[in-house]
This record gives sequence, structure tokens and C-alpha cells, in this order.
Amino acid sequence: MAAGIREQERQDRIAAWLFLSPALIIFAIFLVIPILFALYFSFTDWNGISPPAEASWIGLDNYQAILLQDGIRRADFFKALKNTTYFALGVVPVQTALALFLAVVVNQRLLRFKSFFRTSYYFPSITSSVAISLIFLFLYQKSGLINSILSGATLGLWEPIAWMEDSRGLIHIILGWLGVTLRDGPAFFRTELLGLTIWDWISGPSVALSGIMILNTWTTIGTMMIIFLAALQDIPTSVYEAAQIDGATTWPTFRKITLPLLRPTMFFIITLGLIGTYQVFDQVYVMSSGGPAKTTLTVAYMVYRNGFRNSEMGLGAAIALSLFIIIFILTMIQRRITGSEATD
Amino acid sequence: MNKQSYWTILAMLLLTMLLAACGGGSAEPVATQGEEETGSETSGETAEEPESTSGESEVTELQLMGWASSEAENDRLQEVIDEFNANNPDLNVTLNLVPDYDTKLQTSLAGGSPPDVFYIDSFRLPDFVAADSIEPAEGQLENVDDFYPSLREAFTIDDTLYCPPKDFSTLGLQYNKALFDAAGVEYPTNDWTWDDLRAAAEQLTDEENGVYGMVVSADFARWIAFLYQAGGSVTNSDFTEMTINSPEAMEAMNFYVGLVEDGFAATPAGLDSGWPGEAFGKESAAMSMEGNWIASFLNDQFPDVDYGVVQLPAGPAGEATMAFTVCYGVPAIGENKEASFRLVNYLTGPEGMKRWTDLGLAMPTRASLADGWTAQYPELEPFLAGAENANPWQFRPGFQDVLDTMNDGLQQAFSGTLLAEDVLSNTEEVGTEVLNR
Repeated sequence: MAAGIREQERQDRIAAWLFLSPALIIFAIFLVIPILFALYFSFTDWNGISPPAEASWIGLDNYQAILLQDGIRRADFFKALKNTTYFALGVVPVQTALALFLAVVVNQRLLRFKSFFRTSYYFPSITSSVAISLIFLFLYQKSGLINSILSGATLGLWEPIAWMEDSRGLIHIILGWLGVTLRDGPAFFRTELLGLTIWDWISGPSVALSGIMILNTWTTIGTMMIIFLAALQDIPTSVYEAAQIDGATTWPTFRKITLPLLRPTMFFIITLGLIGTYQVFDQVYVMSSGGPAKTTLTVAYMVYRNGFRNSEMGLGAAIALSLFIIIFILTMIQRRITGSEATD
Repeated sequence: MNKQSYWTILAMLLLTMLLAACGGGSAEPVATQGEEETGSETSGETAEEPESTSGESEVTELQLMGWASSEAENDRLQEVIDEFNANNPDLNVTLNLVPDYDTKLQTSLAGGSPPDVFYIDSFRLPDFVAADSIEPAEGQLENVDDFYPSLREAFTIDDTLYCPPKDFSTLGLQYNKALFDAAGVEYPTNDWTWDDLRAAAEQLTDEENGVYGMVVSADFARWIAFLYQAGGSVTNSDFTEMTINSPEAMEAMNFYVGLVEDGFAATPAGLDSGWPGEAFGKESAAMSMEGNWIASFLNDQFPDVDYGVVQLPAGPAGEATMAFTVCYGVPAIGENKEASFRLVNYLTGPEGMKRWTDLGLAMPTRASLADGWTAQYPELEPFLAGAENANPWQFRPGFQDVLDTMNDGLQQAFSGTLLAEDVLSNTEEVGTEVLNR
């Protein structure tokens, strides 16, 4: 009898591996091996044109060029990192909050046309990102819909701007209103730190980047809403009933019961959001190619640009791996902040 | 037990499928070749051609890779190649026009199976040459001296000609006749100077109706014409030093940016357009400085716009324009280099070049064909005449960084967030770094 069980277990194990093998093989061919290659190339001067075997080993030179050496490569890398960070700081909180809000709304038992709302909120997420980006390009034109709506809403006070060509940083604009400019600002504005001046660091996202941020938020909310919705429906009604008996009103119920119970989901959503925003590429590729004035240059786009425009595949690989390490560290930090119980 | 054998069978099935998929890898080339043949059969007018030659065993298959342009051009190129195939029974050339060309070409070169002949833009050539990817065309070409010197120069690096020019474009000045008439301004001539351009732009600007004198883009590839007209240069002749931070460059900068600052010119985005040609077509700008590609664009999209073309105005140092050109490259690791050069020689030779450029969309790179072409397309003559004082659009490997810096700088100078002298000094700094790499 015992032998039969052991035999059964052994066969189960084999079956499990066999079932896993297709996914594992694909995973190895398309992910593990390329990642190892990228790691190798990041230590070479491969130009991406000649056969990879001709690339010569240059040690840490690529990493030095983007992290330590003064020059355009380092300046570009930190500019891209700055842009991407502003992108993430803007998109992730808004995206998470809006997705949660929408999920709570469409989860209401009394809401009519529930499936209509669920579908329409989810729709942007399943539409081709390239198609949406192209449509937004039109919306963001100087005489485009967004400018028309804004000037209509402000009774003509809004000056139409060509969104995707505007390289002014949002924080720079606000500082400008307060009368602070680079020309008559304090001298430390001009101090260089990692290839960029302090004034550049505090630019905030440019108007063009903000345009992509709005688009990105809009397209990703749907997926996150669905995940929140699933989690919301997982919360047993008995908990709410108990709260109701204790006399809890809507807001305390949400704050003290719904939110804590959503914590693991929240961790998941924020992680997804962080990774997604730090890797943003397609919308930049379609809408701005990194311009105007490199204010929409993101790290992921810079990888592509170096690999296929500048013939510096090795450098591109080094940037890609640096991006991986940055995302890894951020996720770790975020795990700490969101709390350990979330990781259970 | 029954259940287990079911599992095993299923697993075996999966494994065999996987193995079959892996084994398919080696058979793949054969499969794609078959596809290509059927592809050319369905698309080409030479339906019988591949079949008639497939009987012989000595047919060499060649692939010509490029990017797609207008449909008329794609069709014409296919026709030229069909003619070549008909005259060369031992060769069968397949034309492969691909999207996302740069990526595709780069990966096929790195992967060791490049197409036998492919397009190379003059700006990208130094990168390919630095990677030893291109077989020099030196000594392989017929009647090299017939090519315009500026175009030969565009594909010459360290005194070696790498590939012959396929066709070319120069920058010219387009003007909207109706807008000129309405403003009572005389049409531009080939003898215009900067002052004439500026004065006309000022008179033509009618901000109330949303019309600007000119559309200019924050693009190094346009501004550089003014740089040469002012007598400046980007680097010294042997590419060891940047010379862009010069009084001449400053003059060109002030003129170009000044047009925007003073409100006589606007950027395409400011005119709700993706590129200057569109703004010109929408008649929101009375002048633009584009290459002859604008002619077919306007024909297609804005056939009602009545416009003329003259050469770019002369600056303080005289006339200058830019030549943008693409060549037919042969890979250094190619298997059929000799056959590839036969094809290249036909395409850029007098006969093939004439067939290709007779369409009027591309201009012949051979001076001997110029007269015939201008007789056929007199209205585009200023573009072709530009070949005489054109500068090549080719620098050193890695110059993309310099281009980016300059473009960003121009953009910021247009919006007033960066001073012209800072644009030049930034570009000089980046350029020096690139040249010293």
C-alpha cells in the first residue's frame, strides 16, 4: 500500500515536470538565454551589426560610460532615468487610485448597466496601444480636441499648445509662475549632478511626457480595475454584515475593512504599475521618439535607440540590465513599504 | 493505471510536438524560399519567369532588400528587376520591401544571413563601414565618374567608395503661388538671398488667417544648408575636430531661429502638421524647404496646391544645399558578391537608372542622364540643379548623438529656452566626444 502511494507520487512528479516542460522550454529559449546573452553583451563593444562573435570584451566600460564618465551617454542615461521616474511617480498613484475607485463603483450592487461600465472601462486595455497612440497624437494637436475642450471649459483662457512638441517641464512652468527662473534663480541651479544640472533634475515631466502619462494611465486602468474587482468580490459579505451590525457607515467600512483586505492586491497592482511604467516604450516609440528635447526619452526607449540607431548594442544591453536592477531594487523597497503581510 | 497511461501518452504527444517544432528549424529556409517564389509569382508580371528558369540548375537566387516607398515607386522597381531577371537567366532577383527596415537589416547582418543587396542611407553608412559590413564597390562599378561628385562623396569613406548612389534628393525652396499672389509678393528666383527670403516671409505672414511665411523644422538636416550657405562647416575635412561653434554657424543660427522668433515662420507642430510638407500642403505656410519627395506627396494629398520650386537662397558665402541619398550596398559576408555587383551595376547603370528615374519621383545620380530627365520634368529642375552645390549628409560613426543634440537644441532655441550659442557649444561638446571615441 505504502509502496503504491510512493509510486503514485513519483509518477505525479514526472507528470508535473512533463506538463511544465513546454512552458519551461519556451521560457528558457525566449527569456533565460536572451537575458544571459544580454548580460554577456553588456560587457562587450558589440555594435549590433557585425556578427556577435566579433564583439570584443571590454569589461565594465559600458557601465562606466553610463554611470561614471562625464559625457553625452551618462547625461542621456540620467535624463532618461529622470523622465522615467517622473513618469512612474505620476502614473502609478493615479492609476492605482482611479482603478480602485472604478472597481468600487462597478462593484456596487445597486449600479445599473454594470456590465456596460465594466466593459467600457476595460476597453482601452485591450485596444492596440499603437492605434490609441496615433489617435492621441491627433487629440494633442494644437487645434486638436483636447485644446478645444480646455479652451471651451476655461472660456477661452486656455492658450492652445502643441502638446507633443512642448518640452517645458511642469515644475519649471509652476516655478515660472512664481517668478523663479534659471536666469535669476540661485546659483546652485547650475550645479551639475550626474551629467544634469539641478535645474534640469527638478524640471518635472515635460508637457509632452505628461501627454503620454495621461494616455498610459487611461489605457492601464482597465486591467487594474479588473484585478481590484476580483479582489473586492473575494471579500466575504459576512465581514461587511458584521460591520453593519456594529453600526459602521460606508467610509469607515471602506477604510477599515475593504482597504486592509485589499492590501495584497494593492501590492500586486503597484508592483505591476512600477514595472510597467519603468519599461514604457511603445507609446514613446509611436508618439515622440524621445523628443522634444529628449524629454520623453525613457530608459527602455534609450535601450532601443542605442541598439538600433547608434550601433551600440553593448551599451544598450548595459542600460537594459541597469534598468532591470533599478526595477528590482524599487520592487524590494516597495515591498517593505506595503508591508510584509502583503507578501503572504 | 488507466489514468496514468493517459498522462504518459499526453506527455509524449507534447514532447513529439516540441521535437517536431525544433526539427522544423532546419527545414525552414526551404519553406521560405518556396514562399518567396510564390510571392513573386503572384505579385510580379513575370509569372512564368521563375518557372522557366527553375528547370536549369545554375540559377542563383538573389535578394534585394529595401524599404517601401510610394506604390508607384515600388511597382517601378519591381519592373526594373523583372527586366533584369529576364536578361540574366542565371540570376533570379527577389525584391523584398520590409517595414522597420533598420532593425531588420541590422539583425540579418548580425545573424550572418544578410540580403545580397540592400539600401543604405548615407548618414548610416559610417556605422556599417565601421562594423566592416559593407563590401567596397571600388573597382566593381561601371563609369564611376559619371556619378555626381557630391553623391560619390556621400558614400566614400577614407577614399574608398563603398556603394553607388541609387537616387538622390536635394533641398529646394517650394513656394505657394496663390499665397504669393494674395500678398502681392514676387515669386522667388534661383538668385534669391537670405534677405529676400526673410523679407518675403515677413510680407507673407498673416497671423490672423493662420498663414506663416515659411515652415521650418527643428532639424539639423535643414539648418545645415544655412550653415553651409553661411560658409560654416560641421567638422574639419579629416573629421578630427568639430568646427560647428563658429561665427558663421552663429550667423546661420540667428537667421534660422530668427525667422521663428520674429514670427515669420512656424514649426510643423505649430501648424498642426507632422512635417513641413503637410503644413505647406495645408497652405498654412507659403514656403517650405524640402526635397523632391514633397512633389509626390503634394500630388497625392494636396493636388490643388499650385506651387513652384526654386533653389535655396544664397547666404553670405554663396549657394549651398544638401543631398540626401541612398545607395545599393553589398554585404562583406555575402555569398554571391559577384552576382550582387552585376545587379547593382544594372540598377545604377545608364539603362537601369533611366528606367528607375523616368518615373519622375527619384532623380538620376548620373550626370549623363540629367538632360533627359530635366526635359521630361522641367518643373523639378531646381532639385536636380542642386546636385552641383550639394553637400553630402554623411559624417562619422556614432554621429546620431550629435544629430540628436543639435535637433534638441534647435527645438529649445525655437521655444526660447536655450540660447543659440549654447546650442552650438553643446553640439560641439558632444561632437568632440563622438570624434574622440
